[in-house]
Amino acid sequence: MVFEIQISRFKASDVIWTGNYSTTVTQNQVLHWSWESELPLECAIHFVRMRTMVDDARIPVPRFWSNWSSWKKADAQNSLGDHPLYVFPKDKLVEEGSDVTICYISRNHQDNISCYLEDVLTFGKQLDQSVWAFELKNISFLRKTGTNFYCQGQGVPEGVVLFVSKVLEEPKNFSCETRDLKTLTCTWDPGDDTGLIQLPSYTLFESFSRKKTLCKHRNRCDWQVTQDSQEMYNFTLVAENYFRKRSVSILFNLIHGVHPVAPYNLFPKNVSATNATMTWKVHSIGNNSALLCQLQLLGEGKVIQQHNISIRVNGEYLLSELEPDTEYMARVRCAYADHFWKWSELISQNFTTAEAAPSEAPDVWRDVMFVSGHPTVTLFWKPLSKVHTHGKILFYNVVVENLDEASSLEVLSVPAPANSTKVTLNQSSYQIHVTAHNSVGPSPASTVAISGHPGNENVEEGRINGTEDGFPMSWKPQSRNATGYVVEWCDGPQNLPCVLQWKNLGPTTTGTVISSGAFRPGVRYNFRIYEISTKRMAHLLEKKTGYLEELAPSYNPQVVPNNLTSHSFTLSWKDYPTESQTGFIQGYYVYLKSKAGEKCHRGFEKTVLPDNSVCCKYTIDNPDQKTFVMKDLQPESVYEFFVTPYTSAGEGPMDDFRKVTTPDEYSHILIHIILPMIFCVLVIMIACYLKSQWLKDKCYPDIPDPYKSSVLSLIKSKENPHITIMNVNDCVPDAIEVVNKPEGSKIQFTGTRKSPTETKGTKPAYLDLLPTEKNYSGPGPCICFENFTYNQAASDLGYCGHFPVTSQAPHCPLGPLTSPENLLKTLEQNYMNSLGEIPAGEANLNYVSQLASPVSGDKESPPTNPPEPALCSEYKMQMAIPLGLASPPPSENSSLSSTTLLDPGEHYH
Amino acid sequence: MKVLAAGVVPLLLVLHWKQGAGNPLPITPVNATCATRHPCPSNLMNQIRNQLGQLNSSANSLFILYYTAQGEPFPNNLDKLCGPNVTDFPPFHANGTEKARLVELYRIIAYLGASLGNITRDQKVLNPYAHGLHSRLSATADVLRGLLSNVLCRLCSKHHVGHVDVTYGPDTSGKDVFQKKKLGCQLLGKYKQVIAVLAQAF
Repeated sequence: MVFEIQISRFKASDVIWTGNYSTTVTQNQVLHWSWESELPLECAIHFVRMRTMVDDARIPVPRFWSNWSSWKKADAQNSLGDHPLYVFPKDKLVEEGSDVTICYISRNHQDNISCYLEDVLTFGKQLDQSVWAFELKNISFLRKTGTNFYCQGQGVPEGVVLFVSKVLEEPKNFSCETRDLKTLTCTWDPGDDTGLIQLPSYTLFESFSRKKTLCKHRNRCDWQVTQDSQEMYNFTLVAENYFRKRSVSILFNLIHGVHPVAPYNLFPKNVSATNATMTWKVHSIGNNSALLCQLQLLGEGKVIQQHNISIRVNGEYLLSELEPDTEYMARVRCAYADHFWKWSELISQNFTTAEAAPSEAPDVWRDVMFVSGHPTVTLFWKPLSKVHTHGKILFYNVVVENLDEASSLEVLSVPAPANSTKVTLNQSSYQIHVTAHNSVGPSPASTVAISGHPGNENVEEGRINGTEDGFPMSWKPQSRNATGYVVEWCDGPQNLPCVLQWKNLGPTTTGTVISSGAFRPGVRYNFRIYEISTKRMAHLLEKKTGYLEELAPSYNPQVVPNNLTSHSFTLSWKDYPTESQTGFIQGYYVYLKSKAGEKCHRGFEKTVLPDNSVCCKYTIDNPDQKTFVMKDLQPESVYEFFVTPYTSAGEGPMDDFRKVTTPDEYSHILIHIILPMIFCVLVIMIACYLKSQWLKDKCYPDIPDPYKSSVLSLIKSKENPHITIMNVNDCVPDAIEVVNKPEGSKIQFTGTRKSPTETKGTKPAYLDLLPTEKNYSGPGPCICFENFTYNQAASDLGYCGHFPVTSQAPHCPLGPLTSPENLLKTLEQNYMNSLGEIPAGEANLNYVSQLASPVSGDKESPPTNPPEPALCSEYKMQMAIPLGLASPPPSENSSLSSTTLLDPGEHYH
Repeated sequence: MKVLAAGVVPLLLVLHWKQGAGNPLPITPVNATCATRHPCPSNLMNQIRNQLGQLNSSANSLFILYYTAQGEPFPNNLDKLCGPNVTDFPPFHANGTEKARLVELYRIIAYLGASLGNITRDQKVLNPYAHGLHSRLSATADVLRGLLSNVLCRLCSKHHVGHVDVTYGPDTSGKDVFQKKKLGCQLLGKYKQVIAVLAQAF
């Protein structure tokens, strides 16, 4: 029968699909046919109808279609709830790259609904008043947990999750093997994960036995070999998921796919210095089938021996030609001997051979220093290579043999890992033998010979240039009997402790390249080439020095300018070491800048500095010249200079210029005049200082000595020959004689008991200077002279002879002065003190002059006259009185008591 | 789906270990006897407060972890997809008596515990490799179980309440994946909101 089926959507008249379905039917049979809609059925009402026709060759044509059945409606919307929004299909599983249609049903027709795939707005088409559809083309895989599609209007968003599966790949590298002829294991590469939580299934089908098994792993499957001696297998692997089914097949011969299990119990036995026997076991296959095993011996990671051995159960093999004290790895793997297909996994075992005596003499060299004529030899030796040590070196034996004394042997034992020792010898010839010892025995000896006398060290030093490969050097042999040559050098810079290096060369060698990883550019290396005689004696042949690569000097010399004149100065950098620079110093550049910017001096050339400034440059091409005279300079000018060395690689770093100012041209003349003048003035000043006392006495004594005064002679000679000079001894101690008192002059002393009449006449008038008990009555006058040349301290204190004249002055201890003798003594004493140094205890003194200064006052006026404003002549003194004696505490009444009132009309001189 | 359906019933049984758990339980009459299986600890209210604080401190990070694991559009549409629109969520009145508050707390914790069990089960299927999310959900469910036990102890020992009517959220086992994600997100948003109120109230 053939059935024609029509499907409509939304309305019965809208047919969207027509198709035929043919099948053989029996009576009362219920047929099933399905159709998948690209639009989720929940989003639209679908109608279906069919008609049928007999499709049997036995029934003659014409055949007729039956009538159409009535439309049957499929309405999934009836089962929906009353939510305002629905999105379909729910949780759909799709394959990557396919198309999918998503629809929504909105109950609220006014709602403006937007739909998004993940967060990307998606546009659809309206199918019905309430149904929209979104066709998603070529959908891609995003994540295992699905791709979200959601729609939102005014209510709660609704959505669906699409689970996108990657395309299932065909299994690759499908193969089978057996390890024991009992179980087959088939493996394959499943390819990329489909990205779904639901994994694809893998099924293994064998067509001869028609058996199949569901694999437990996605890349491996086990198959039990039957006991019916089936050798050939035709396997088909089927990978299947929701969308696809993939399969691969192989035809497999069991014998050709034997992959033995790895051997076990691999052990060394009877290990000696050069031999070892390896043993191992294998798992039997079938009925003790033969296995081919491969034994490999590895040293330092490389296969050095390989042997194939055929065995059944136990393997054994003797490894020979091994190195002593060497760690080896033995490893073994096996394959099926009847038909090789694949090696088993490797198993390995390490072992170390036994020690043997070192096989080679150590490489020995020496450094000879003569101290006080005796050679001190430092022996160096290189550690033996591992190939030659044959065990751990424990110590080195050094045997010193004096060739001049046959029986003289000295043996030193130097524990490893030392690589040098020092021996002090006599001025004899020696042979020194060095052997290295391990636990088994000594190595062959290495011999050096030492002469008791210094050899020829006066060999000219040549220069060599380094290359990328090192220092190439050659030499001329001196002797035809040389047994070899040795080149020695130091790896480090010269100023570091030298690590002596050497290289042995054969007797026919006349050149070599010295290379070392320690060589650095800019470091000077010194090489010495020795020729070794048949007696193992070394003779210095040549000296070489050079740089692997010369560099520009790293620093500049400290230049000192001296011999500065108005036209020249000298630059000196004698401390600059040329030997320890980063290249051979070829000379120096002297840069000169002047403020005037004039032309360069002779020999200089203009140059532009890196800072674009212009200066003059002078080239010194002699590295040993470390002074330079700048000539033809201008006086009183500023010059800037800078000196830098240069090598073949360039000049030194640019430093700051130093300034020098040339002096004035005539400055030396001024110096020749001013200096003597200053000297003369100094001499005069010193002389004056030394004779100051004499000058003082002569020119301005503290107390003018009338007898010494030159004025005296003038007076005497020109005026009054009768004038005499008052002698202190002639003075009455309590009175002052006023000389040259004019006639009629009057002196009035307020408060004095002397009557005015007593002061009249030519007779010298005497003033009571200090009251006595007898003549004292009431407040007395005072005569106060100020002597500005004396004791400023006393003056400052105001003690200027204001003697209180009180009727009772018990606190004024004037007792010792009340008598003329005492006063005279005091005066004399204080006069002497005034000439000399005033004692500290007498610093507070009042001074009273022996000479009265002019006093004003009316001698006729009664003594009761009130005191007038005092015109107190003060005189700082030639005579001192202790303050405590002369100055009682002042009182109100005594404030004027020591004042001599002078009449303005009467002055006494 | 069978697996999904199989998860919630054991969870509810664990939450209410007594026979008949899962059915609405009436509040025990005042004069009824009330007994707990284990003696209640003395500092019960402190423990309840601490547990609420612990849940409150981790609720936001759990919420973020959840909606991030769901992929777009969840992280950028939290208000629409993860708003706390849980209609049948048990109410809570912070100004009630201690007994009333504890009863309401019990209902809320029971609701949350069951819902969290559903979410955990769903996420183990939908996000099988989100182990961090799984462990955080499980840890939160553990604390909720302990809190439920303590609240019941308190109700029983002090207020003589042995049975409380409880309600549960919708079972998500029959729902589509998008609904599961959305309901879980809404529930965790609600949980974050309500646990802050509860921590404040106690």
